Amino acid sequence: MKAVGGYGGGVASPGSVSSVSKAAAATAEAEEDLVVEDVGRGAMGDAEAEVANVDHAEEEEELEEEELELGLTLGAAKRGKATPAMWGPCCRILTAKDFPPLASLASPRSPSASSVSSSSGTNLGGGGTGTGVAGTKRAAESISPDVGSSPHPPSQVVVGWPPIRAFRMNSLFNHFKDNAPEVDAAVAVKKAIVPSRAGNDSQHQGSRGKVMRRSFFVKVKMDGDPIGRKVDLDAHHSYEALADALELMFHKPTKASALAVSVVVWMMADGAKISNLLDGSSGFALTYEDKDGDWMLVGDVPWGMFLETVKRLRIMRTSDANGLSKSVHFGKHQDFYRQRNDRKHPAYGLQPE
Amino acid sequence: MVGGFRWAAMFPDEVWEHVFSFLPADADRNAAALVCRAWYRIERRSRWRVFVGNCYAVEPAAAVRRFPEVRAAAIKGKPHFADFNLVPSDWGGGAEAWVEAMVEGWPHLEELRLKRMVVSDDCLELIARCFKNFKVLSLVSCEGFSTAGLAAIAANCRNLRELDLHENEVEDNCLHWMSHFPESFASLVTLNIACLEERLVGLLHRVPQLVDLGTGKFAAQHHPELFSKLESAIAGCKNLKSLSGFWEAGPTYLPAIYSVCEGLTSLNLSYATIQGPELIKLISWCKNLQRLWVMDLIEDDGLIAVAASCKLLQELRVFPSDPYGAAQPISLTEHGLVAISAGCPMLHSVLYFCRQMTNAALLTVAKNCPNFTCFRLCIMEPHTPDYITRQPLDAGFSAIVESCKHLRRLSLSGLLTDLVFKSIGASANCLEMLSVAFAGDGDAGLHYILSGCKNLRKLEIRDCPFGDKPLLDNAAKLETMRSLWMSSCSVTLGACRQLARKMPLLNVEVINERKRGLPLELQPDNCPVEKLYIYRTVAGPRSDTPSCVWILR
Repeated sequence: MKAVGGYGGGVASPGSVSSVSKAAAATAEAEEDLVVEDVGRGAMGDAEAEVANVDHAEEEEELEEEELELGLTLGAAKRGKATPAMWGPCCRILTAKDFPPLASLASPRSPSASSVSSSSGTNLGGGGTGTGVAGTKRAAESISPDVGSSPHPPSQVVVGWPPIRAFRMNSLFNHFKDNAPEVDAAVAVKKAIVPSRAGNDSQHQGSRGKVMRRSFFVKVKMDGDPIGRKVDLDAHHSYEALADALELMFHKPTKASALAVSVVVWMMADGAKISNLLDGSSGFALTYEDKDGDWMLVGDVPWGMFLETVKRLRIMRTSDANGLSKSVHFGKHQDFYRQRNDRKHPAYGLQPE
Repeated sequence: MVGGFRWAAMFPDEVWEHVFSFLPADADRNAAALVCRAWYRIERRSRWRVFVGNCYAVEPAAAVRRFPEVRAAAIKGKPHFADFNLVPSDWGGGAEAWVEAMVEGWPHLEELRLKRMVVSDDCLELIARCFKNFKVLSLVSCEGFSTAGLAAIAANCRNLRELDLHENEVEDNCLHWMSHFPESFASLVTLNIACLEERLVGLLHRVPQLVDLGTGKFAAQHHPELFSKLESAIAGCKNLKSLSGFWEAGPTYLPAIYSVCEGLTSLNLSYATIQGPELIKLISWCKNLQRLWVMDLIEDDGLIAVAASCKLLQELRVFPSDPYGAAQPISLTEHGLVAISAGCPMLHSVLYFCRQMTNAALLTVAKNCPNFTCFRLCIMEPHTPDYITRQPLDAGFSAIVESCKHLRRLSLSGLLTDLVFKSIGASANCLEMLSVAFAGDGDAGLHYILSGCKNLRKLEIRDCPFGDKPLLDNAAKLETMRSLWMSSCSVTLGACRQLARKMPLLNVEVINERKRGLPLELQPDNCPVEKLYIYRTVAGPRSDTPSCVWILR
């Protein structure tokens, strides 16, 4: 086939800058250390580190290659391993899934079990249990050898993917949360009728006086900082905006121990900024306490769901956060846990090294 | 030229109006309007239905002025990817400007359909008060209103025939809004809402002529009296053709609708987490089903049963019950899709979420269903190859576009190289809407699409390595399309600036949600663009952009 003029082989034109963002480590200065992991895997070439769209997105293929070492330009590390299937840059918030040792949750169950109903206690009335969420199964999947058609590598969390309307996602989520058969009808309707679309709600419900919600000011406390603050979640439409705000709020140098795991990494708009926030290495995780009193890592769920359940925030050291992820609740909260090993799964279309 | 087109005056205007009323498509009427001034005048005065695919493509006042006799209007706002949270919440798409212009210029409006727009309660109240003969309200994927606004509609629109509210973000501050409907509501034929089931039963008794019913959540099964009330109420709706809702319906509720199953042509169970066996039982009653929306809980076995009993099926949508793969894998694979394609000869529209696919299966589907008009396949893991051969799915999708000559809508997924775009560009001559994610190798992919696909109207792309060159090389194509969305690709600000300068009839919107760094005007040309939305317009740049949106000129 005749090469399309100027389009060459499968390489994006060198002039095009792909926003490969660097996953810089959370800095020691980092106020709240919201480190967004670099997901930039743009077309080849000398893409500078740029800000890509920061949302609660996560690219599995990124995990494949990154070393998760703070302070390193993960983008650089990645570029060397560019894969034939290129995708555009996205950014990613690392959350519970990225914590390594949670393989302890692996269960010996065979991943190629057919869809026998597995319950994790979240069925709503009715006989069988449909889509109970069983976190342990996912760990098992990754451990078992890749068997042809069987286990489906779990989807990673990328903003807007899979392409399901926010409304539908919210009703799935509400279904999982509703594990009590005796659910108050009015409450159920409220949940059903007023799911908040990620990032869309504050605009209008705010003006209406937020009949259905609590106050949007939530407390934020950062480990090592004796002074707690409050942040107005209503003022933000996304995790990145919230991170910006928290950053400003807690902007002062703090020391933190270097850890190999960054939690939420923000990509910066220009190189100069990166150093301010992300130099050195420190491990802080942004976590929140939800309605049930559990501490979750921020970024797991769409923004709207987050707003519905968040009670307060805590910027905790990742050394503590490691313990946190073990307490992640599946089913009820629909956490998207993933194993490190998953990244090496051949089904992801990447060539094993 | 005085003598030209004298023949237009041979017939009185009414005759031409009557002739135009046979033109099936707006495009045909548009063409007629270009023939001569007389036809332009006659056509515009007799057009009573308008469709505005992009609310910013034209000024509301201009549209109202041009077509003064409109009775039915449909308007769309936000880009499609707004459904998946890719568009900032304050991007725009407000309905006020349109509603105000319509109230002013179309007092006889009977029908309004809005999609992906921000509709306030004030808008709903205006609609309820000002359109005396209002019959149809459809709000899909909208937000910004509450049940108080709906109460105004229910109370004032005495001739309401159709109320379709699905997948909206509605604030529920007026729980009894449905009681505002009149006691005897003989005109209501379509009701698609989310509501309390007790109210539903009461309402059903008032509207036995209902043809289309959408319900909300059914509580768990411990309301036996409610069950029998519901059963008799639904049985009383002898004309029921379309049923949807049943959120979280326990299987014990399903028998309540068995009585109407045979008459159903449309069934939407995609919010109901009913398991395979119950689903199969229910669907086996629905022999006349033309449209079926379900969750993947139906599994391959269920789809095989559907293929056996629903021979009239035209549209199938299978949604994922577990999008993030946190639960046990569901046994819904390519086999279900192949079974449906083999068993349902009238199938033309498919939306299918699954986790695995093969080229062979797609080839089979393509061979079985050359009449597809809409094929949307979503393999939930990005970059998933053919799980047996480990090859990209280029061959499979190419087979689809080559076989389905009437394909109007296509969504791709899985591991794909530029080759698939070559096929699409070359073969998809009827394609109007294409959705691409995590695909392609480089610029050539986008170039194939933009230089081919002669009927392309909407193109939406995310996370693909497409850059500036194909965009600039195919700038003229963009004016023939309604819109282009690109996010997380490799487009730079410089290219957008060039495009905006070159094409005055396009609005080039750059969306950058990061608040830090320089404002966009000061950014250099090589600054990457996170999100780009380009659409043709005769209205110039809009004035309601939020701070994260820049319209380049």
